[in-house]
Amino acid sequence: MNRKSMTRWLIAGGLVLAVMLASCAYSVLYNESRWVAPMDLSTYQFRIQDLPMLIAVPLFAVYILALGFRLFQAARRQRLQGQPGYTRHLDPRMGLFGLFGFLGFLGFWTYTTQRVIFPFFFFIFFGFFGFYYEGKLSDTLADEMFEEHRLKAQLKAYKIGMSLIFLMLWLVGFGLFSQQLDYVAIYLTIGISLAYAVTVFMSEYLLYRYERQE
Amino acid sequence: MPEFTCQLKQYRVAKGLTQEQLAELVHVRRETIMRLEKAQYNPSLKLAIDISRVVDQPIEKLFIFD
Repeated sequence: MNRKSMTRWLIAGGLVLAVMLASCAYSVLYNESRWVAPMDLSTYQFRIQDLPMLIAVPLFAVYILALGFRLFQAARRQRLQGQPGYTRHLDPRMGLFGLFGFLGFLGFWTYTTQRVIFPFFFFIFFGFFGFYYEGKLSDTLADEMFEEHRLKAQLKAYKIGMSLIFLMLWLVGFGLFSQQLDYVAIYLTIGISLAYAVTVFMSEYLLYRYERQE
Repeated sequence: MPEFTCQLKQYRVAKGLTQEQLAELVHVRRETIMRLEKAQYNPSLKLAIDISRVVDQPIEKLFIFD
């Protein structure tokens, strides 16, 4: 995708987002938050005030689908040309987003007070620490050696992640927390989130190691 | 990875090319050429052919497999 085309997509995205936000604001202020707050669609009756949201939501969906298709096409074209591309530009400080992983500990509090376990999912954000190593390899020419290293790193990371998931399932299968289904749900949410985070982090870390031959 | 000896450096120098220039001509990084010359990286057939064309030497003279 060239710079001109990217600018056009960004402007279109901004417009679609603006339409979406304006529709949401209109709905919240003048239409009892219909189509913004959860509603029972079995008793739905059309109102003319619903129109902004009924236009904005499909428009947003079409934009996302079209953008995905366009990116896929651009990546395919680059592959067919056989010319290596460059890795994306990323600031290594983005790795600090990995600190959001600590939000996962909120789950212990929400579970004890409200029996809500979804915050444990936030442990997945530990994977963002991988941005640090990705940032260090920013704007690198992705030639065949780089691609080989990337595949090797990903394969090793997937093996580690799958081994962790296997170990967790094996422990549950053999009766860990078998008397407390809540604990099983918590254990699996934490475990799978961490395994995913480890996989994402390790694939970037190992790629960096292979590239720098450390 | 199969063991091999790489004779690329002597032919590259004879051709008056730096690692950087050769890398640019065959669309790879200097690091890739560097590791090739140390026989630490086994190149694809395409890269081997591209390099042999640039240095005007047959592939079997550049990469000698045991």
